[in-house]
Amino acid sequence: MRSVGKLPAILVCLLALAMGGPVMAQKAAQPTAQQTAQANGQAGQKSAQPAQSPQGAQSSQTATQPADGKAAQEAQPAENGATPGAAEPAATTTQPAQNAQPAADGVPADATPPAQSQAAEQLTKAGEELRALTERVEKAKDDDIVLADLKVQVDALAKQIIGVSVSTRPRLDEIKARLTELGDPPGEGQPAEADIVTAERKRLMAERGAINALTGEAEGLSVQATKLSNAITATRRALFSNTLLKNTEVSTGMFDDALTATADETRVLSRSVGSWLSFAWNYKRVPLLTALFLSLLAALVFLSGSRRLFRPLIEHDITDEEPSYFRRLSVAFWSTLIPTIASAAFAVSSFLFLRGFNVLRSDIAPIIAITLGVAVVVFFVTRLAQAVLSPRDSRWRLVRVSDRGARMLMIAIFAMALVNGLDYLFGGVSEALGSPVVLTVVKSYIASIVIGLIIMASAWIKPMLRKDESFDAHGRAWPKVVSFTLLAIGASLIIAAVSGYVGLARFIATQIIITGAIMVTMYIGILTGRAVAKQGAFGETSAGRYLERRYNLEQVALDQIGLAAGLSIYALVFVFFIPLILLQWNFQIADIESWAYRMVTEIKIGSITISLVGIFAGILFFALGYVVTRFVQRWIDGNIMARSRVDAGVRNSIRTGIGYTGVGLAGLIGLSAAGIDLSNLALVAGALSLGVGFGLQNIVSNFVSGLILLVERPFKVGDWIVSGTTEGFVKRISVRATEIETFQHQSIMMPNSLLINASVGNWTHRNKLGRSEIAITVTYASDPRRIMALLSEIAAAHPMVLKNPSPSVGFTAFGDERMNFELRIYVADVLTGGGVRNDLRISIYERFRDEGIGAPFPVKIEDVPVEDQTGIESHHPEQVGEPKGATSAEERAASKTTASDKKTASAAPLDEEREVEGASGRRATGRRSNPNR
Amino acid sequence: MRRWAMKKFVIALLSGVLVTGVLAAEAASAATVTNKDSETAVLIVVEGESRVEVAIASGATEMICPSGCFVTAPSGDRIGLQGDEDVEIVNGNVVVK
Repeated sequence: MRSVGKLPAILVCLLALAMGGPVMAQKAAQPTAQQTAQANGQAGQKSAQPAQSPQGAQSSQTATQPADGKAAQEAQPAENGATPGAAEPAATTTQPAQNAQPAADGVPADATPPAQSQAAEQLTKAGEELRALTERVEKAKDDDIVLADLKVQVDALAKQIIGVSVSTRPRLDEIKARLTELGDPPGEGQPAEADIVTAERKRLMAERGAINALTGEAEGLSVQATKLSNAITATRRALFSNTLLKNTEVSTGMFDDALTATADETRVLSRSVGSWLSFAWNYKRVPLLTALFLSLLAALVFLSGSRRLFRPLIEHDITDEEPSYFRRLSVAFWSTLIPTIASAAFAVSSFLFLRGFNVLRSDIAPIIAITLGVAVVVFFVTRLAQAVLSPRDSRWRLVRVSDRGARMLMIAIFAMALVNGLDYLFGGVSEALGSPVVLTVVKSYIASIVIGLIIMASAWIKPMLRKDESFDAHGRAWPKVVSFTLLAIGASLIIAAVSGYVGLARFIATQIIITGAIMVTMYIGILTGRAVAKQGAFGETSAGRYLERRYNLEQVALDQIGLAAGLSIYALVFVFFIPLILLQWNFQIADIESWAYRMVTEIKIGSITISLVGIFAGILFFALGYVVTRFVQRWIDGNIMARSRVDAGVRNSIRTGIGYTGVGLAGLIGLSAAGIDLSNLALVAGALSLGVGFGLQNIVSNFVSGLILLVERPFKVGDWIVSGTTEGFVKRISVRATEIETFQHQSIMMPNSLLINASVGNWTHRNKLGRSEIAITVTYASDPRRIMALLSEIAAAHPMVLKNPSPSVGFTAFGDERMNFELRIYVADVLTGGGVRNDLRISIYERFRDEGIGAPFPVKIEDVPVEDQTGIESHHPEQVGEPKGATSAEERAASKTTASDKKTASAAPLDEEREVEGASGRRATGRRSNPNR
Repeated sequence: MRRWAMKKFVIALLSGVLVTGVLAAEAASAATVTNKDSETAVLIVVEGESRVEVAIASGATEMICPSGCFVTAPSGDRIGLQGDEDVEIVNGNVVVK
């Protein structure tokens, strides 16, 4: 009963979804329609007053000629409007409103449609907003982050402005339509038109002008907004190249300045930190302690929690003597990713706690923030290097380098990350404390040179190993390419810094360290994904083993899960790291957001746009529709039809029909949800119809035939049908072909069009009633009446033989020296015919033997004296059961001649039966003397 | 063998998505303008920063402004277009379908 309630709800939802578009369109159309109606009504009512008065009518009639008959149209709505409401006031105020003044005056100046005034209001607001944004852009000239955010806002505003002007379009259309109705003003020499018409035209023209002016204003604003947006982009570009390519004069004086500035900064820093600490301790002790406590708690949760939770993923298993490559990969990936995420979460949460409890001061907050950030980044790089190089345990090393080499590389990478991190940390501190720029420049200068030196030095590390060497071997130098590249990069960093391009040097150093680290992590992640997706690999992992144990999964299912896991690792890698790299390259989060948004909503290739969201929505809706269809199908079949005892054929047809309709509907819904204009399919349909003309006509004709079969139901599943040379039971009726299973259990797919075009015999169409015949042959020595009576008796005695229609016996032919009889019986189920005939033959044989009539089948007549012949002459007994199909005339003719080779094309079970019978016949022939002598 | 099968699967999937996407794209392309008049119509299209005069021959169809613009019709009317409309020019007027 519950499902009964659910179904309509689902159906309604589906319908609502399907109708969503049109309904919305209607909703959108309604207000305008109402407006129009109102406007017409107003105009009608107002012009109705004059129209009521005879003079008014007359004047409008006189105006008819000049106005090209359009005034007549104008009078029409007036009368219409007059009938319902305006007739009364006009009647009560009998005053003849002969002049058209009321019409002109009747349109007050404040009748500006609400849509228009609203649009004007919105535009004013947009203009103000634009001005405010321009000011903010002006102010934030040097702040890339703010600029990126502002650009997003400006773009949104530009869209909004266009939207506003779009909203005035319907009114403009109305005005234009009305103006067309009114026609052109009369030219020179033509009779003047009615004043109402002139007045209305004037008013409409004014409104049209106002709307145009409004749109013009919007146009101007939109241009301004775009200009501003482009200006922001230009500013940001300049800002970026400025930071990168700014050349600083490197001189000894600079270092002197920097030295003094450093001393100052240290003092300022210690003072402000000290004062903050004492302030916090003295006045905000409780919040400070709470925040610290919560931070520690967060550390406990994130760091040790993640370690606990993902322990098998991130910890080296000491007992594992030879971890597989996949295991090493995954441990490296996860042991980098999870602690990094955990520490980042810890850093963010502690900062939020400190800020949330108002412990931070404005000068301290950025310092703490950058300290935490730098710590996380350095941690990440170190962690990654640790994971890849595994300097302490060569078994878990991902790259084949010597122990010593791994240690050295580890030190080099850590040193670089630390120097770079410190550079950023001190830079941040300087910025927070407002130290002179020269200090930052000098710090970056030194950091770049140090990093350059480290890179150059690492060119001399000898980490390489030959294939046969063990990890504790001394190691060999890098390949030449690598060492040269390292040297070149280090040298270029130093040169860039020395020649004054400190910003560039710093940027490159950061890219090498951070982007390099992120890329390496990504690479490891992708390798992990690939390894997981490999056949059989997932079952080896601990997760795979767990799933196998827990849910008793098959190998195939595990494999599929492995594939999914691999793909999701890919997805994770891209979703997580690509934004990180972009952030590294000075893109702002706002940029990335808008890109991501655009990526999923519209990808433009040339003039076409692809919407991923649309496509996914389409697929989703289709899947949903499909599921609902299957549900409805099962519900109707199982609940309604099963109980109402509908015929199995009808049931099958209805179920199949619902299936097709549902899937078709789901497809349509999916297509329209995907944003595919169904009219575009007309093109496809056109192409298809050509295809149908040539090659697809068979398929289409089969499909249509399948539908006809479902409706007409010449046979249903389970019927015994004969078509051409194919005979068997119907197993399944599907769109293109019908599956027939022969008696030998061979499945034959018969195209539906064949079943429609050719004649199909159905043994079990309306009922299963069938006729069976048994041929009996006896010699002329017997009494035919006696034989017939005996046969009738035997048939009547069998329980499966129907009494009505009653069995009959026919004396079918005078053969050479033998008489031919035929026993025709009806059975309720034609499928049981074989068994019944079998029984009957046995009875006949036994009975004839007992009665001394002799064998009821042909036997070879030997040269025996006539008096010896007992009258047994059999000619071939089985004239079996070609039930209703064969005509009896044919049969008789056949039975007259040698009957045995007659029925070659009869049904398989019958064939079998015949074989058996033939054998028994032969045996009987051999024992022929028994009954007679 | 298996990798090959997977590759094929991925390719099939991608091409399917692409085909669907291209079909979908048809729906969401730029605004189309069709000139139903007997003479060439000149529209002033303001899109972004640029102001362009677009001449559309009689009976011709053009695609303009994929991401919203303002159009000034030969009749002097100005309208805003969102960028997905079908527009016709009838008697110098712009009619949005």
